[in-house]
Amino acid sequence: MSQVLMLGQKGLEDLLFRPGSAADIHSAETDSLFIMIFWVSVFFFVLLMVLMVAFVVKYRRRPGRIALSSASHNTILELAWTIIPLAILAVMFFKGFWGYMNRVVAPGTAIQMNLVAQKWSWTITYPNGESSPETMALGASDNIPIFYVPANLPVMLKMTSTDVMHSFWVPDFRSKFDVFPNRYTSYWFTAAAPGPGAKTLTHKDGASFPYEDHWLFCAEYCGDKHSEMAGIIRVVSETDYKKVVYDAWGAAKPPAEIGRAIWKTRCASCHSTDGSKNIGPTWQNLYGHEVAFTDGSSMSEEQMTGISFDNYIRESILAPAKKIVAGYPNQMSSFAGQLSEAQINGVIAYIKSISEKAPKEEPAAGGAPADAAPAAPAATTTPAAPGEPAKK
Amino acid sequence: MTTLDPSKAAGLHGAAGHEHHGSYLERKGSFWVTVWDWATTVDHKKLGVMYMTAVLTLFFLGGLAALAVRTELFQPTRIAQVEVKNSDGTVSKATKITGQLFAAPDATSVDKGNQIYNRLFTLHGAIMVFMVIVPGIPASLGNFFLPIMLGAKDVAFPRLNLLSWYIYLTGSIFGVISIIMGGVDTGWTFYTPYSTTTDASYFRVVAMILAAFILGFSSILTGLNFVVTVHKLRAPGMGWFDMPLFVWSTYSTAIIQVLATPVIGITLLLLVFERVFRVGIFDPALGGDPVLFQHFFWFYSHPVVYVMILPAMGIISEIIAVHSHKAIFGYRAMAYATLGIAAVSFLVWGHHLFASEGELVAMVFSALTFLVAIPTAVKVFNWVATLYKGSISLTTPMLYALSFLFLFSIGGLTGLPLGTLATDLHLHDSYFVVAHFHYVMMGGTIIAFVGGLHHWWPKMFGRMYNELWGKVGCILVFIGFNTTFFIQFILGTQGMPRRYASYVSEFTLMHQISTVGSYILLVGFLVHLFNFLHSLVLGPKAPPNPWGGLTLEWETDSPPSEHNFDHEPIVKHGPYDYDRVVPPHWDPKDYPLPAGAAARHH
Repeated sequence: MSQVLMLGQKGLEDLLFRPGSAADIHSAETDSLFIMIFWVSVFFFVLLMVLMVAFVVKYRRRPGRIALSSASHNTILELAWTIIPLAILAVMFFKGFWGYMNRVVAPGTAIQMNLVAQKWSWTITYPNGESSPETMALGASDNIPIFYVPANLPVMLKMTSTDVMHSFWVPDFRSKFDVFPNRYTSYWFTAAAPGPGAKTLTHKDGASFPYEDHWLFCAEYCGDKHSEMAGIIRVVSETDYKKVVYDAWGAAKPPAEIGRAIWKTRCASCHSTDGSKNIGPTWQNLYGHEVAFTDGSSMSEEQMTGISFDNYIRESILAPAKKIVAGYPNQMSSFAGQLSEAQINGVIAYIKSISEKAPKEEPAAGGAPADAAPAAPAATTTPAAPGEPAKK
Repeated sequence: MTTLDPSKAAGLHGAAGHEHHGSYLERKGSFWVTVWDWATTVDHKKLGVMYMTAVLTLFFLGGLAALAVRTELFQPTRIAQVEVKNSDGTVSKATKITGQLFAAPDATSVDKGNQIYNRLFTLHGAIMVFMVIVPGIPASLGNFFLPIMLGAKDVAFPRLNLLSWYIYLTGSIFGVISIIMGGVDTGWTFYTPYSTTTDASYFRVVAMILAAFILGFSSILTGLNFVVTVHKLRAPGMGWFDMPLFVWSTYSTAIIQVLATPVIGITLLLLVFERVFRVGIFDPALGGDPVLFQHFFWFYSHPVVYVMILPAMGIISEIIAVHSHKAIFGYRAMAYATLGIAAVSFLVWGHHLFASEGELVAMVFSALTFLVAIPTAVKVFNWVATLYKGSISLTTPMLYALSFLFLFSIGGLTGLPLGTLATDLHLHDSYFVVAHFHYVMMGGTIIAFVGGLHHWWPKMFGRMYNELWGKVGCILVFIGFNTTFFIQFILGTQGMPRRYASYVSEFTLMHQISTVGSYILLVGFLVHLFNFLHSLVLGPKAPPNPWGGLTLEWETDSPPSEHNFDHEPIVKHGPYDYDRVVPPHWDPKDYPLPAGAAARHH
């Protein structure tokens, strides 16, 4: 009997939260509180509906039958159904407050990472200054950033936004918090290690390692691509985390490759590189081609090369409103303070590299190849079937 | 039971009270004379009918937007690389958008289709909240029945009532203009800094905010009118605790409207200032604070949730009492619970900010939020207890009241994990919230409104509607509603955020079930619409008291005469004294007599 009940409970949890999705050390606590509220609610709902249906059947209007006299009120009954719910609600409140404090107050030992939200991408900067160059397809987006985080260690995100409000929600962690443009807020978690059936990836050195992916969604409405503002939190062991973030990403890279990584994670939601029109102009063949602006001015083919091209891109990244390409809205917010000089140079190099008029050699890269599509950093291989995050 | 003499209080009950007048619906002459008569009327009944027409029209418009939203969500949006054959025979790769209802055929990016989706859900929310659910019941059924239930000829300030109507119309026109010009994409909550920086044109956003601002004034004036009417125009013999519960709830609503609406007025005005004159109040780029806007906004908008639900609760009390011929169980507790909800409603706005503000705000507002659950629970228990030993007639209004108890209980109970802090961090801004507030706003307010329309339809228009088709419509709405929204609770707990134009593949089936439900809902409402229209033209003539009600509106003709009562009514019994009073215009052939009342039936 108790086994049947256990199975029922398991089935309910799977239905409500997707099987095996609880991924933070506090997820189970939140789930059990929800399930407790669920059963209390079911009890009162069934009680009310059974009484309602029973009364409707028993006292339905029939010929010759009249409404019977009954007490117009009953103080003891009314006190009972006021005080008993009040007591139950008090329990819910305290359990809820306890769980909330667990969720919002990070331990002092947590690894701090910085998170920047903007229309419509997430960026996490790791303690070594790196940010993720890896992406995958999820929903209607081809380039959703993948953030590697270590399992079993508390991680705290210091969050801010560059434009409007966003909200950082990882459903498997059962928690979210708003991200504001004028202050820092925080979000912390301790992710459970990938389970025995987890999918695996391989390091550069050929060693394979297990990982588990979790959706990251923006939960505060933020405009045109709100529903595409997603990310993947990829939980790996602490050793594998260090190997990826410190060893593989931390190694020196040619500028165009740095630029391509920035594009995939930060720019791809608005700028294509295949010539298709998106919210912003495409980067393909931007270099060396004439461009017209909304204020009537333009830059010639000549001006779109050399140092004046570099300055134009730099200005567009740091003060995007200064020159708006004709036919596009003024949607972009400034990246000032968010990209380092090396990263801005990388973006410029990458844009140059995908033009048919690309210069043969990149002087700053010291002879590094600037081919049309630099290979993604080979820290990891992409899972066989990208599309949705892997589940246990 | 002494009350102020209403005739001295407002001078509306004159000697003319003894003349017999024709129905308020009687034509005053030629077509244009009749139009002019309605356009300039100060009769609360005509104003109620005009409000009802406007509210139902806007409900239909908002509903169409919702259907468009659900249709878009039937398929998730995907970007596919497809091979295209060129005219010269070569094959090239191209990007193609699938699953997007509003995408242009040659779209290579989802943003245009998403923009239309975002405008549609904003349109749906803004129309339903500001133009349908907030003013709906008080302005239509409240205007029509509040004075009659008090035994008055009209509201305290009939001309002010006419002004409220034109303000409402002006506000709605502003809203509709904003929509026709291309709509806004801010969501009905206008959160800053998005609403002050979105590229939707200045004019449209400002027009939509002004619409909400102007509609607020209509609310304030109607509320003021109702408060004074209840205080001053009760018929002789009607004490506070002889008032029907619909009057109590409309009165509590009116108090909230008068006290809370100015805050949203100020907030929206500040928003317009910021948008037009670039004064920094909420936008951090100008030195403002976006969280301040949320506090201001919810300081109004949370009490307004109770403006939406309290009148609905009043309707349910009337329907359950009348259609089971029983006194409302714990009448005084019901009246106090209504006032209690109104009072606590001012103190819970912060529960919209559990994921925005710190621990102190969260703790205080979570505790206060649980407080509001108590009077709400008491009401539901009392309604069910009222059925005990009644003579329950399963008419369309009663079916609606039972459906309300079912849906509103779910709506109320699913508020618990949202008021609980730890679980709210997960559920906030997810589909769980969407399902919860639809169970309350639609399963509560709209269901009660439609039930109330059936309950009072014979009185308002003097014609009966078809019971069978009324029940068919009610059952379709019930099934459609649950199919649409129940699954959204699970979407929410599984991780689906709200206001998304697309979603991950795992959620496809659940979204499709929800969309199918919304079409069933449409069919249900269309059945009601045709039933009502049919009744207006071909419905059998309604008796003055088809359900055997005891409140004063059932003493009037169906439809009521222009001045409601031939004689000033004198109240000698409570509104639900079924066990000792015979209902007016009673025909024992039609309905059995309540116990006790039979003995007094001489």
